[in-house]
Amino acid sequence: MEGATVKLSENALERRLQISGILLILGLLTESLCLFWARPLSFLAFISVGGVLLLLGIAVYLFSLLTIRHPRQ
Amino acid sequence: MPVETTLIIVLLLFSTTLIGVFVARPGITVTRGGKIMAFLVLFLLPILCGAMGISSELERSKTTKFCLSCHIMEPYGQSLRVDDPSYLAAAHFQNHRVPADSACYTCHTNYAMFGSVKAKMAGLRHIYIYYLTTPPAPESIRLHEPYNNRECLHCHLGARSFEEGAVHNADPNLLPGVKANKLSCISSGCHEVAHNVAKLNKVKMWKGQP
Repeated sequence: MEGATVKLSENALERRLQISGILLILGLLTESLCLFWARPLSFLAFISVGGVLLLLGIAVYLFSLLTIRHPRQ
Repeated sequence: MPVETTLIIVLLLFSTTLIGVFVARPGITVTRGGKIMAFLVLFLLPILCGAMGISSELERSKTTKFCLSCHIMEPYGQSLRVDDPSYLAAAHFQNHRVPADSACYTCHTNYAMFGSVKAKMAGLRHIYIYYLTTPPAPESIRLHEPYNNRECLHCHLGARSFEEGAVHNADPNLLPGVKANKLSCISSGCHEVAHNVAKLNKVKMWKGQP
């Protein structure tokens, strides 16, 4: 990243990997934040926001593997 | 914060950093090693993090502190400190008949199959009522369904004080009725005072630590 903004790749597979990574990062950061509080709302946010973002990120990654072939191969 | 929770947060942040590398340099997945790493970092590691996080959250949701974090539950927390052995919850809490750090969960979970899941679903209903409707006053809170003796018998069944207690055996029909859940443990004349939060300002409080 080196202090610059992350630019999405023009390659379809790499772009999907980046989207997957961004979703996963958001999910993991949400879950990390939720773990700081032992309260019902943080529990709910952990499951509903963090969990859903993680699942989406994993799904995008798997979907990209199944649907797009790497052009550099 | 417990050490386990801290370790999980460290793992989550470490995973975030690794994933960040793939977001910044997606081209590294061209090589065979890059593909394997991507599989580990974008698939296995998030699953591991999610599973550990959920496990940690579920354990923390069993704690007394968690249950009492809702304002409406505060009187119920105070009722655990009533200096009167006839208060069922207080007697259990103060005498370590239930673990002090998971006192609410120990008595109010469901010990049947998938009981923990049912308890969590009931908890979600509590969140809905607390945040999205007008919650009742603490003294007006009632259980969703009659208290099942199964929760008491989870610990007391087979215990000498329960099986051979003079009061429990004064009537030969009492224990069979209790075990069949036909006669409630907390019915009138037995262990009927559980929390009694409406009268907390009239009772003496225990100052000790459980």
